[in-house]
Amino acid sequence: MTLIADRPGPGAARPYRFPPVVRRAAGGGQVVAAHLPGQNLAVALLLLDAGAGRELTGKEGLGGVLAKALEEGTAQRDATAYALAIEALGTELVTGLDWDSFQISVQVPVDRLTAAVQLLAEAVRTPRLDPADVRRVRDDEATALRMDWANPGPRADAALRADLFGADNRWGRPMYGDPDSVAALDVEDITVFHSEWFLRPGTLIVAGDLDRIDLDALAGAAFAGTGGGPAERGGPIEVPLRADRRIILVDRPGSVQSTLRLGHPSPHRAHPDHVPMTLAGTVLGGAFTSRLNHLIREVHGYTYGIRGEFASSRRFGRFAVSSGVQTAVTAPALVEAVGEITRTQAGGVTEDELAVARSWRAGQLSVELQSPRAIASALTTLVVHDLPDDYHARLREELLNADVDQVSAAAATHLHPEALTLVIEGDAAVIRNDLEEANLGTLLTHP
Amino acid sequence: MPDSGYPWPIETSRLDNGLRVVVSEDRTAPAVAVNLWYDVGSRHEPAGQTGFAHLFEHLMFEGSVNVAKTEHMKLIQGSGGSLNATTNPDRTNYFETVPAEHLELALWLEADRMGGLVPALTQETLDNQRDVVKNERRQRYENVPYGDAWLRLLPLLYPPGHPYHHSTIGSMADLNAADLATFQAFHQTYYVPNNAVLTVVGDARATEVFALADKYFGALPARDDIPAAPDGRTVAATGQPAVETVSADVPAPRVYVAHRGHAFGTPGYDVLTVLATVLGSGRGSRLYQRLADGERIAQPDLVGAYGVDLAHAPAPLIATATARPGVSAERLAEGLATVVDELATVPVTAAELDRAKALLSTAWWRQMSTVDGRADTLGRYATQFGDPARAADRLPAWLSVTAEQIAETAAEVLGAADRVTLTYLPEETA
Repeated sequence: MTLIADRPGPGAARPYRFPPVVRRAAGGGQVVAAHLPGQNLAVALLLLDAGAGRELTGKEGLGGVLAKALEEGTAQRDATAYALAIEALGTELVTGLDWDSFQISVQVPVDRLTAAVQLLAEAVRTPRLDPADVRRVRDDEATALRMDWANPGPRADAALRADLFGADNRWGRPMYGDPDSVAALDVEDITVFHSEWFLRPGTLIVAGDLDRIDLDALAGAAFAGTGGGPAERGGPIEVPLRADRRIILVDRPGSVQSTLRLGHPSPHRAHPDHVPMTLAGTVLGGAFTSRLNHLIREVHGYTYGIRGEFASSRRFGRFAVSSGVQTAVTAPALVEAVGEITRTQAGGVTEDELAVARSWRAGQLSVELQSPRAIASALTTLVVHDLPDDYHARLREELLNADVDQVSAAAATHLHPEALTLVIEGDAAVIRNDLEEANLGTLLTHP
Repeated sequence: MPDSGYPWPIETSRLDNGLRVVVSEDRTAPAVAVNLWYDVGSRHEPAGQTGFAHLFEHLMFEGSVNVAKTEHMKLIQGSGGSLNATTNPDRTNYFETVPAEHLELALWLEADRMGGLVPALTQETLDNQRDVVKNERRQRYENVPYGDAWLRLLPLLYPPGHPYHHSTIGSMADLNAADLATFQAFHQTYYVPNNAVLTVVGDARATEVFALADKYFGALPARDDIPAAPDGRTVAATGQPAVETVSADVPAPRVYVAHRGHAFGTPGYDVLTVLATVLGSGRGSRLYQRLADGERIAQPDLVGAYGVDLAHAPAPLIATATARPGVSAERLAEGLATVVDELATVPVTAAELDRAKALLSTAWWRQMSTVDGRADTLGRYATQFGDPARAADRLPAWLSVTAEQIAETAAEVLGAADRVTLTYLPEETA
């Protein structure tokens, strides 16, 4: 036999380490940095308390328009000159927005970092925001969203979010807004939001070789001309569960696949069950080896992939499953998925499954946290959720120590198969009867 | 200017059965990347078997002699690792990054599916993964606006019989016709040690890796008659533009302009890489400045240009733009063609050149910033150019490109007479 039959065991485990974290008050703001010795590339990220949660209801999508408008010229130079200046350093401005924060970052060879942060700050603190430019950017963003919403997914996501959280609330509307909400924004919405939220110092995140980086110079550039303190961030929001399962059908005539979005509300990020809940979600739908992917993809061949997980922000969370399945098997795929969620809630997880889930989650802290971009993102988590420098090391221990009872209890407590909203975006004429006959819940048609 | 794009050690070895082993030690993080490049891709597929190389990639995760169905994923994830595989016209790669103490497990798993896949391959597995791949085709290409652009561009760029004429995802008809014996033969033909490169980057010593490679792969038999893919190096110019217009369920007119350039790895491709960055990367690019900002006929987030890194024939260079509301496809196509044409006639300025080189430098170091990025790069250069150390030449080669070379190359390969133009029109206006 030319193959070795015996599977090798692991060698000696290397100690886990997250890069050393430096926190410093400088230049009127806070700097949080990680030291990556020998790394040629560096990332600087300005973290502002200006996430989608700060937008008023009816103004959703404002942050996305402002992000683009920042690059339409500054007090010092016009849009073209700005683009040429920052791209000559080898970076573009990368903006990110979630419920809790607005992030804007640069990624450059380390010797160009100070110059890049100066340009980043120039755009964030002193954008021109000429009304004609803002209106054009708004229209472009509305068009870009219309393009995006022509893909399967965004309409289903919006229908699920509205049903879970209520469309009267900002958090019941799409994080990036929709084509109509963006088109309805006016110039003043943008400029007022900028002066309210973009002139506070925020936190500067740095990941790179700190022996070659002058943090004080970066802070001086990032925080120049800022003022105002931190604002009240609000506590967790109570979101009620539905009494009965329901199906919302979003019509997509001619679709060869049905897009599935199944979900219900779940706890916010600081909930004490965060780790066992994450592991329960991993066993059910979070990894390629999950129960859902095994059943729906590997056993039935209904899909290219299916995922399910708990996701949480500072104030709220939700459990959601997403997939695309062949139109003809929409109803059986839903029955199987709901069945697996129900079994996991009722029966918990096995030691064998949990062993994979906790090793995977723990190992990912070594495997996926390599690049400056990934480290910067990990630092962002520390800041947004008020976590200590040794958070990642502690998390690793918590993951490895979680036992079957804890994780099964989290599944029993935080999965609610009877309260699921099942959103299906697909060819209604073809799948409606099957959905009615599947007897999974009341069938509603999305307007 | 750096004189090397790869400032880490590289050590190489070749087992008696022809398996090439490449190791690049880096103790920065307690993780190790394992990467296998097999020199087989959709360019090897004969007529009637399109999509087989990629479907085969799926089968490689479904068990082998000592590894049960789906156990591969479970063992790697259960070790804390990440894994995947991809297939393109040129090659198929398989890779996992694991905490360093699980290196031996990863090598055992890769050896088992290189040497022991066929006895474990069943009709049931094939049928299941055929369905999964058909769903992948629906999800990526059929159910999204413009999703089939690549499938349409390839036959316009390459004539029937050319190894790049058909797409890697293949046709539904061919996938439906796939039979088990063909896949057994496919594995026996191409998944042999002398058709592969094993690369390990990260927290591991070269001597240790060479010994483990010999232990797990050393007894697998070589095959000395691996059939070559059809030769596609020379593609005759047709002398007339290829034009295709599609009416589809799309939200706005979109135009693709495509050319055959030079093969990846040649000096000409380096020039085209810089040229594509000048043309279509970032807000300072010519396409953005002229079409999105200047004339304002294109949507700002949807203009761009890029080369496709294929090494076995003149590779595609693609530029694309999507119309702003109220702008016709004709006007957009004319604008796009004009900007491409001007690469030969309006000299690239020093500022344009510096901008492109700075963006490419960052992109290069980003690829190098992870052990998995480095492993895939070394595997590519070992497979396609016979020497992983040639990876170090790419960044300096980009940085030495001149404005004159860009103008010459544009005049040589971007001529209107040899251009492919693919236009999408929203159905109701067609």
